Amino acid sequence: MTHLSLETFVAELNELRVGAERMLAEATDAAALESARVAFLGAKSGRLKTAQRGLGQLAKADKPAGGRHFNAVKQEVDALFAAAHERVSAPIDAHRTTAIDVTLPGDSIRLGRVHPLTQTIRRVAAIMSHLGFEVVEGPEVEDQWHNFEALAIPAEHPARDPLDNFYLSVASHAEPLLLRSQTSTVQIRVMEERDPPLRIVSLGRVYRPDTADATHYPMFHQVEGLLVEPGITMAHLKSVLRSFASSFLGGDVHVRFRPSFFPFTEPSVEVDMEWNGRWIEMGGAGMVDPAVLEAVGYDPETVSGFAFGLGVERIAARRFGVADIRDFYRNDVRFLEQFSDRGQA
Amino acid sequence: MIVSLDWLAEYVDLPPVDELTERLLLAGLNHESTETVGVDKAVDLEVTSNRPDCLGHVGVAREVAVLANRPLRIPTVELPESNAEQAVSVEIEAGDICPYYSARVLRGVTIGPSPDWLVRRLATVGITSVNNVVDITNYVMLECGQPLHAFDLARLAGRQIVVRRARAGEPFFAINHKQYELTDEMCVIADEQRPVALAGVMGGANTEITAATTDVLLESAQFAPLPVRTAARRLVLGSPSSYRFERGPDPAAVGWASRRAATMMLELAGGHLDGPVIEAGQLACRPATIRLRPERLGEVLGVEIPRQRQREILQALGFVEQDAGEHESHWLAPTWRRDCWREIDLVEEIARIEGYDRVPENVPIAARPVQRSARERLVRMAAEVCVAAGFCEAMTRSVVGEPLEIWGSPWGTAASLVCRPPLVRGADRLRRTLLPSLAEARSGSLAAGATHGDLFEVARAYIQRADAAGASESPVDEPLLLAAVTGGDFFRAKGLAAAVMRRIGLPESPAAALGDDLIRTTQAVVGYRPLKSELFAAGRVAEIVLCRPDCPNRRIGVVGELAGPLCDEHGLAVPVAAIELRLDGLEFLANTDQERLPLSGLPAIDRDINLVVDESVPWAAVVAAIESVGCRELETVRLGDIWRDAERLGPEKKSIVVSLRLRSHEATLSADQANTLVANMVTACTNATGGVLRG
Repeated sequence: MTHLSLETFVAELNELRVGAERMLAEATDAAALESARVAFLGAKSGRLKTAQRGLGQLAKADKPAGGRHFNAVKQEVDALFAAAHERVSAPIDAHRTTAIDVTLPGDSIRLGRVHPLTQTIRRVAAIMSHLGFEVVEGPEVEDQWHNFEALAIPAEHPARDPLDNFYLSVASHAEPLLLRSQTSTVQIRVMEERDPPLRIVSLGRVYRPDTADATHYPMFHQVEGLLVEPGITMAHLKSVLRSFASSFLGGDVHVRFRPSFFPFTEPSVEVDMEWNGRWIEMGGAGMVDPAVLEAVGYDPETVSGFAFGLGVERIAARRFGVADIRDFYRNDVRFLEQFSDRGQA
Repeated sequence: MIVSLDWLAEYVDLPPVDELTERLLLAGLNHESTETVGVDKAVDLEVTSNRPDCLGHVGVAREVAVLANRPLRIPTVELPESNAEQAVSVEIEAGDICPYYSARVLRGVTIGPSPDWLVRRLATVGITSVNNVVDITNYVMLECGQPLHAFDLARLAGRQIVVRRARAGEPFFAINHKQYELTDEMCVIADEQRPVALAGVMGGANTEITAATTDVLLESAQFAPLPVRTAARRLVLGSPSSYRFERGPDPAAVGWASRRAATMMLELAGGHLDGPVIEAGQLACRPATIRLRPERLGEVLGVEIPRQRQREILQALGFVEQDAGEHESHWLAPTWRRDCWREIDLVEEIARIEGYDRVPENVPIAARPVQRSARERLVRMAAEVCVAAGFCEAMTRSVVGEPLEIWGSPWGTAASLVCRPPLVRGADRLRRTLLPSLAEARSGSLAAGATHGDLFEVARAYIQRADAAGASESPVDEPLLLAAVTGGDFFRAKGLAAAVMRRIGLPESPAAALGDDLIRTTQAVVGYRPLKSELFAAGRVAEIVLCRPDCPNRRIGVVGELAGPLCDEHGLAVPVAAIELRLDGLEFLANTDQERLPLSGLPAIDRDINLVVDESVPWAAVVAAIESVGCRELETVRLGDIWRDAERLGPEKKSIVVSLRLRSHEATLSADQANTLVANMVTACTNATGGVLRG
């Protein structure tokens, strides 16, 4: 006699289970449920009964396994039927017509959040990208050339004082390295590699030894823009910053320049934007110093450019009404969850 | 720089105070505050480091005179020089630090209180009156920016002044009555025996002016910025004097200040000059001659400024036109403006006096479309998954204390870099992994009472390269990492990692998990392989290995349960599920679009197979065996169940239920066809893993 293979037997049982599952799930009234019961659990010609007969056709060695599988499937179908029966016979009214308390909480879905500083950086980068600036990044561990010399900060400059920087000792490197104190380093790196025209925004973490307080932190974020093209003037700088401020704050925002001093720009200015009838500090800016252009191999007689820098923490603190910038680094979920990032939506 | 308005008005007629501060603000002297002190007003102005000329009232008055177009009144000092013998000798040994030193000797002075007007002016700018002679040195410094010092001549040993480097370890008892130990980077003014002043920084207590002083030596000198700064910083001994020498006072003021102070002393303290001014060294004073092309103004500023107006401004600021050609002229900078030596410096001077409000704000730049870089998109995709999974983004410090660094790093074995000074107290190691920082942050958030502490962070780690010596490459590798922590076991961590991997386009491959020789991939895939790491609980951690055609395999992530001791240290309930993924180097993913697969409308057939395999056979081996058949109809392979029963299955055996879904794109599969396909897969499993169907 030819035996039914265990494999075929199991496969048919599985198919049966899937079929029962589907039919029972689709049964929405008592009649449909009854016909499903007859089809699968019927005592005479229900499919389970038929399958049970197949059990007898298995080789003797396969019978224990076949039997276990049959029982498992039968139990499962029985349970499915019981569940469907309960569902169908439950008083419909209970679900459909009794008013539920709509003020009860829904099933909770937890929302994650992007950090408020990231939100601010993304917003700035998005606005600048509309003005043609692409985001670039560079190393945080820098050498003296990129952090100082190429930025017209010579060896005797106070900015290079060991107490004003985080210097590192690297065994394999003779020249001391440091954690970058500004993201202008990235601008130098990009200018060394590419020729004008150039529009970039460098952003990331920078480090300066400041005692942490409500407005200072030894690690903070900068966003710095750089544009180098022939014929660029301070009027372009002012216009771009005005466009930026208008987009960032909304409305037609005016900007104001105050003379300032940075080693790598000349003229150098502090930029204020008009906000709620007051001038608020936005950041530093200026025309790229000819010495910087020369340091990266550009000719200051044929190209010119401007650069500006914004302190991300300061902007974010103002934008979100955060009084103490140390809160940005406390990583308390109760704080982080408050920033819904509507600006990026 | 705090300015007394009463004092300032001596040199220039002042506009109303609000107008004055507004105008100065827009010309580069930022207005910090105005305070009323008695009948006077103290105006605090921020002076940038390039403008030491504004660290005296005369310098500020010069700015006011230029801006308000009013005459400047600088006192002239005429001092009868005596031809008598030099009363002391002056010698400069450290000429690199002190190019020029001058001394005057006054005898028979009467130390006493200063007149009220002098006391008041000093009080306005925050300086307490000491006595007439000391007050005069302070007054003249705040007038012209040149620091002075007065010694009690009787207490100078050997009637001599030597300007020399300090000896290493040499003691110095300063005027603040504190003892300092000097180094040979510092410069001192010494008498025959000992230092009597730390050059440019502070005088010594042993030669200070007292009520008993009758003879005074008045110092006016030049000191190089760097040694003064070094001394002031090393000893934490900054003074108004060091502040000015660090920035470079007007060389022409060295002599003026000495004459001015001597005149005032004779007037207010009596006595007489003994001998001429005693000088050593050569005054360093080389003002630059600068070429200016008038059209350069328009080219830099974007607004034309007429040449005559340019000339007016420069002349008012003290620049002297040497010659004027049609297209360029040459200007001699005033001695007090050593920050001006290039054409661009003159452009800035003219611009700031003319006012930046003249620069237009409506000059467009040409449009240039750009899109987010591959790296930005990659980071955003990865972060998006974490946010969707309910994680909040954290930002933790890049530099940590040793307790966070002892766990090693998945990204390199070299010791962590150390920074000086520490970022914050106790934190001087550049971290090599973000995970301990996130464990700490999780702990902090939970302890603060947050509903959860599920955090992720995107930041760099810092790994010293072993092989970078002499190479142009940076000696430090900075992997860009995404790390996340949450409560849960290995599978929670792997589920999150896998979701990120799916989002960025890296499917999991069982072959990639099993070994390099098995991989015949045409696309980038990842495999999870067992790992040993001190950061994680033993046996409950995997590395994620990236396999790409034509690239060596490499680790791009670790995933698992954080080590018990690490959790204990932060009081975290175990297990803590953690992932750390290296995103840099995966930018290629952000630039490839995945090919769409057509969907089949035909029904699928689901089959479960129940395999009994040795305990040592990994799930990936089973999947790899099934996939090795190359069955086109195989749509998915999923894990149904795993169970163990030593009695029924045998020792060291497990039963794996594999759920297969088969579907054809051409025709509905028949049961027989499905049976044949499944049978082939079972055979492949048996051959590859020794597994047998349970039945």
